[in-house]
Amino acid sequence: MSKMVTLTIDGIKVTVPEGTLLVDAARQAGIHIPVFCYHPKLEPAGMCRMCLVEIGRPMIDRNTGQPILDENGQPKLQFLGKLETACTNTVSEGMVVFTQSEKARQGQKATVEFLLTSHPLDCPICDKGGECPLQDLTMAYGPAQSRFEYEDKIHLAKHVPLGDLIYLDRERCILCSRCIRFQAELVGEAVLTFDERGRSSQIVTVSDPPFDSVFSGNTTDICPVGALTTADFRFGARPWELKAAASICSQCAVGCNIVYNTRREARSDGRIVIKRVLPRQNEEVNDLWICDKGRFGYHYTESRARLTAPRAEGRPVSWEQALQKAAEGLRSASQKALIASGRLSNEDLYTLKRLADHLQMPAYLYTPIGGGEWVRRYGLSTGSDLSALGKGDAILVVASDLYEEAPLWYLRVRQAAERGAALIIAHPRTTRLERQAPHQYVLRYAYGDEGEIIERLRREAKIAQTLHEARNLVIFFGNEGMGLEQSESLAAACADLLVETGHAGRIHNGLIGVWPHPNAQGAWELGFQPIFDLQPLFETMDALYLVALDPFGDGWVRQNGRKPFLIVQDILETATVRQADVVLAACAYTEREGTFTSGERRVQRYYPAVPRYGDSRPDFAITAALGAKLGLNLEAQSAARLFQEIAGAFPAFKGLDYARLAETRPQWPPTGRADYPFSGTAQPNTQGMGKILSAVAEGTMTPLPPTMQKESLRPEEGTLLLVPIHRLFDAGSLLTPSALLHGRIGAPHIILHPKTAQEAGVTAGEKVLIEWEDRQAEALVKVEEHVPVGVGLVPRSMGIPLSRAARARLHLAERVR
Amino acid sequence: MLKEIGRGLMTTFKMMLERPVTIQYPEQKRPVRTRYRGRHILRRYENGLERCIGCALCAAACPADAIFVEAAENTDEERYSPGERYASTYEINMLRCIFCGFCEDACPTEAIVLGDNYELSFTDRAQAIYTKEMLLEPVPPGGQPTPQKTPPGVYTRAVPEMEDPKD
Amino acid sequence: MSQYLLLRHREIPEISRLEVYRQHGGFEAFQKAVTTMTPDQVTEVVKASGLRGRGGAGFPTGLKWSFMDRKSWPHYVVANADESEPGTFKDREIMEGNPFQFLEGVAIASYAVGAQRAYIYIRGEYQHIARWLDEKIAEMEAAGLLGEKLFGTDYSLRIYTHLGAGAYICGEETALLESLEGKRGQPRVRPPFPPTFGLYGKPTVVNNVETLTNVPLIVQNGAEWYRRMGTPDAPGVKIFSLSGRVKRPGNYELPFGLTFRQLIYEYGGGILDDRPIKAIMPAGASSSLLRVDDRVLDTPLDYVALRQFGSDLGSASVIVIDDTVSIDWVIQKTIRFFKHESCGKCTPCREGTYWMKHLIDRIREDGKEEKQVKLLLDVARQIQGKCLCALGEFSTMAVVSGIERFPEDFRETVLEGVPG
Repeated sequence: MSKMVTLTIDGIKVTVPEGTLLVDAARQAGIHIPVFCYHPKLEPAGMCRMCLVEIGRPMIDRNTGQPILDENGQPKLQFLGKLETACTNTVSEGMVVFTQSEKARQGQKATVEFLLTSHPLDCPICDKGGECPLQDLTMAYGPAQSRFEYEDKIHLAKHVPLGDLIYLDRERCILCSRCIRFQAELVGEAVLTFDERGRSSQIVTVSDPPFDSVFSGNTTDICPVGALTTADFRFGARPWELKAAASICSQCAVGCNIVYNTRREARSDGRIVIKRVLPRQNEEVNDLWICDKGRFGYHYTESRARLTAPRAEGRPVSWEQALQKAAEGLRSASQKALIASGRLSNEDLYTLKRLADHLQMPAYLYTPIGGGEWVRRYGLSTGSDLSALGKGDAILVVASDLYEEAPLWYLRVRQAAERGAALIIAHPRTTRLERQAPHQYVLRYAYGDEGEIIERLRREAKIAQTLHEARNLVIFFGNEGMGLEQSESLAAACADLLVETGHAGRIHNGLIGVWPHPNAQGAWELGFQPIFDLQPLFETMDALYLVALDPFGDGWVRQNGRKPFLIVQDILETATVRQADVVLAACAYTEREGTFTSGERRVQRYYPAVPRYGDSRPDFAITAALGAKLGLNLEAQSAARLFQEIAGAFPAFKGLDYARLAETRPQWPPTGRADYPFSGTAQPNTQGMGKILSAVAEGTMTPLPPTMQKESLRPEEGTLLLVPIHRLFDAGSLLTPSALLHGRIGAPHIILHPKTAQEAGVTAGEKVLIEWEDRQAEALVKVEEHVPVGVGLVPRSMGIPLSRAARARLHLAERVR
Repeated sequence: MLKEIGRGLMTTFKMMLERPVTIQYPEQKRPVRTRYRGRHILRRYENGLERCIGCALCAAACPADAIFVEAAENTDEERYSPGERYASTYEINMLRCIFCGFCEDACPTEAIVLGDNYELSFTDRAQAIYTKEMLLEPVPPGGQPTPQKTPPGVYTRAVPEMEDPKD
Repeated sequence: MSQYLLLRHREIPEISRLEVYRQHGGFEAFQKAVTTMTPDQVTEVVKASGLRGRGGAGFPTGLKWSFMDRKSWPHYVVANADESEPGTFKDREIMEGNPFQFLEGVAIASYAVGAQRAYIYIRGEYQHIARWLDEKIAEMEAAGLLGEKLFGTDYSLRIYTHLGAGAYICGEETALLESLEGKRGQPRVRPPFPPTFGLYGKPTVVNNVETLTNVPLIVQNGAEWYRRMGTPDAPGVKIFSLSGRVKRPGNYELPFGLTFRQLIYEYGGGILDDRPIKAIMPAGASSSLLRVDDRVLDTPLDYVALRQFGSDLGSASVIVIDDTVSIDWVIQKTIRFFKHESCGKCTPCREGTYWMKHLIDRIREDGKEEKQVKLLLDVARQIQGKCLCALGEFSTMAVVSGIERFPEDFRETVLEGVPG
């Protein structure tokens, strides 16, 4: 523990660790020192001069090193002639600070008056109005009237798009550089900077495309004025009109804590709709941040394609009829299966599994990445916290582009590496993590050699040593370039490595699967079997019950005459829904409650934010009603009761219930209404930080040898190897309803190395026809250096139905025609 | 006793000579006081642009929660108000309104004022909701109706210049 | 003893040639330091000489060198040649006329603090000087005075020049370091100070050109010799950049302790047209205006004496103002300069200079309303003591002192025929 220091702030004695900034020490004592440029997650800049306070330090006798005492026996204090900034000065023993003295108040008032000379004071129309630090601090510290002549006010552009998602109002900007520093320090991509100087300074973006970051929305949260606003919420509502509901982001497996702000809207026919998404503080998961996909990707929940009622044979029917028909279909089929996706809650998956067991049909999890069984056994366990990783620890990231697949994990891993954790990256190409995070080792391997990654890590003496000596080891694995079976083997090999290096079954240690869905881990925990290629099932089964997946839309399944009896349960009108015999309209997760289990095995609750859409029902209720028709009695009303059943049935969930999941712990920095100037508009966590499942690994370690299939495809001279990759902004059915993101999603494309492009005779921006196996698709060519030669990267869910690596040919689309 | 009757009748006869207090409403209407708070009016500028910028401060100030505002962004192609923002929806529920005038006080652009009209009657609840179209005053002579097509670069200020309340 | 110590080219015209400089004792001090003295001994000599920084702050040079953090390596020496104070033009003359003495000073300073890399940060407008110094550095390298294993010892040194891009703020040492690192020239939060956290986060000593040019002579002749010149508080000589309404403006190398009267009337030849002197800005645009009377004229010039009048010697760029000049015009000039040069990092300076500029323009254009003048004074005072670096403070010096000490100039209407 570091040395503790006692000081006096406004007459209150405070004891804090040495090195604490004065502004933090005061905040811990409940004293708000006003700040604009300071943010607890950023390095202090001392720019805005708002936190001016009077600081007295005890005079020290140079000879004895003891404080000089006055006649009353009190240490004599030495005050600098001028005010000092509380955000750059650290505490020292015996310091006496006045934050509200006449002189300090004068200084703070002066700063506010200066700031307001160039501020447009358009609070009535400003999106920040009502939750604006400048507004609040002006009321608390500013002068009642400005002495500045209104005609002298500087006028600047008010509607500057910094990229597709963020607008900059140059007049409102007070040049605190929080946004610049957030991007440069925390994310590691300096895409924003100042241009010009003095009063002409302004924020500009220096990246191409502009504001090229998936964390851009966070800058609007920490902006202390309304200078940065999101294109999504622009003039959407006044903050005080919004209601808040705690939730969990559904876009990836990180499980970021969020808040849905909702309001009744005339534009949406008087429905209550989601107006914006704000991060909800959880220092163990997402700090105060969320990625742009989570912030802007919620629009699918209010898409026009939402299913509002059940259907049978293409016509809307009553629930009774639909369920009856579905039950008959299942009862009469001899070969049947249930396939669910990781978008469903634990409660949904549990009821589905119960139904599948009851009908003695297999329950599959639809996933491109396998190995969840290993994560279940060797994943993180109760009490683990990625933010605890630092010096002496190691993080291994294998075959995953965290920035694109799980942005907040990218942020967490980068921060841990900044704190000194040894970051080891094994990936066939240069990812943003490699470019933007301080890493220790990079293992570059060719596509197709995935089976040897772990073996090669073991052979590299330095890496092996680092892994062995690490106090804690966390391994993230993805599936770049791999099919389901290969990624399963990789997971097994990773688990093996954890065991071998003595890290299995320990707190802060474990395996994390970078799943594409929010609750894939929940499905693994509840005993679902993985599946990705559904074609065989469609060819052999008599009835299929598909829940929350769209294999037809993904292009994996092709109609070839024979079609099993299809029961499709989903929230949107998808290609698969159009093929269905019975459609069961489920409500979106924002309209009900439930729990997700994140990739780090953290079970977290989400709460209803908006009313149910049309006549849709929660998935577990639909399954329960279907079960009732098939002679199975399932809980149909209460998600909480279902979770109790889960906790009773699965040891990992033992002892958990909704009340425990709703527990919170005190967190630093403080958030909430009074702390907007301090921490930004990230919301406080009052409704639960979740719990990591208990360890299964202890005592049950039976590592299996890796069973990687060796016949993987490798890039070869003269051929093109297509490899599917994950991109954050894809054209999946859950993201396309967010019109705002279309610019980020772009058109279907293939990414080639310049040399590969040259050999194929294509250049960037051209449209090509890709042919592989018996399929073909059109795509635009992008040329990027980081792609290995002879490889074409094809983003998943972008309209090119490539499910695994394949050999391909390229033609110019024009030439084809 | 006759005396008492006579005294009583005297008052009656005296009053017969006075001008009557009652008026023949609704044929006849009594003028209201200058600060009377009647039905709201949403005002326009001389050129026809709406004063309301959709800030919803009236709704925030309203003690009866009678006002609902939804805002949208102006463009030069389709301009409703001088600034960047205008009210795409503006509704007052007259059944809820208590005519306190707080909305008028809260308005930064003097867009909403309480007028003289007190003749509010409805036959159902839906009718009691006055929409923006009902509340907006007619386009003044020489002005254009909204939305207007305006030249770029003219209406760049977020909030149109406001008068100092002290002037 | 010769007349000049720093501006020796005035006596020895060819001293900018290496062989001429060496004929006159050039690089003997450097060789002596490297071959016969330890770095600490060099620092001690400089400390004992009482040499103080000539850039403006007057901080004891030897003391600064001794602050270098010895736990963190490498160390750097940076010569501040970003001479950007209006009215200052001394470093330019040194570098143009007597470059080797300056470079030798850089070399000795580097040896004293254990730096093997030294940078000369030159203001953008001095491009020709940067090229000129590059030539001189190349000559030194060719002559074995720079490079690996100098004079047969283990000590190695390289000197590099770096051009700024024309910003006043880059004369501030931390902004200079930022700029040198390739970042925006904006001052850093201090502490930590450069001797613990300087260039690339390493201990760095930043010295003015004139300061460093003194060093070879001190090392060569000893501290005692140096102390014989000037005053006890400010030993040695100083180059005074005299400008404004004087007959003979220019650089004057004189010992500390002489008076304004001597400087202006003896050396500067008096005021143009022999008009009465009205005010003095002793440290360029960033100085307080001195209202001139006999007491001021007869004050010895050193770092302490001027404080009694509420001013500072600074870089000794003496700007003389006579009675043809109205002080509001002077203030307008300085405010416009500081508004233009404010880096924009901290609020009081960025917004305050912008505000002051509008106020002084109003005052100058629309007549001097008392309310506006008072407001200008208020705003200037409001800036004081709140800025991140000294520049913000500087921007208010002339304003506050001008309004306070020359109230009459803010009562009457604008003078006609002001020099433009």
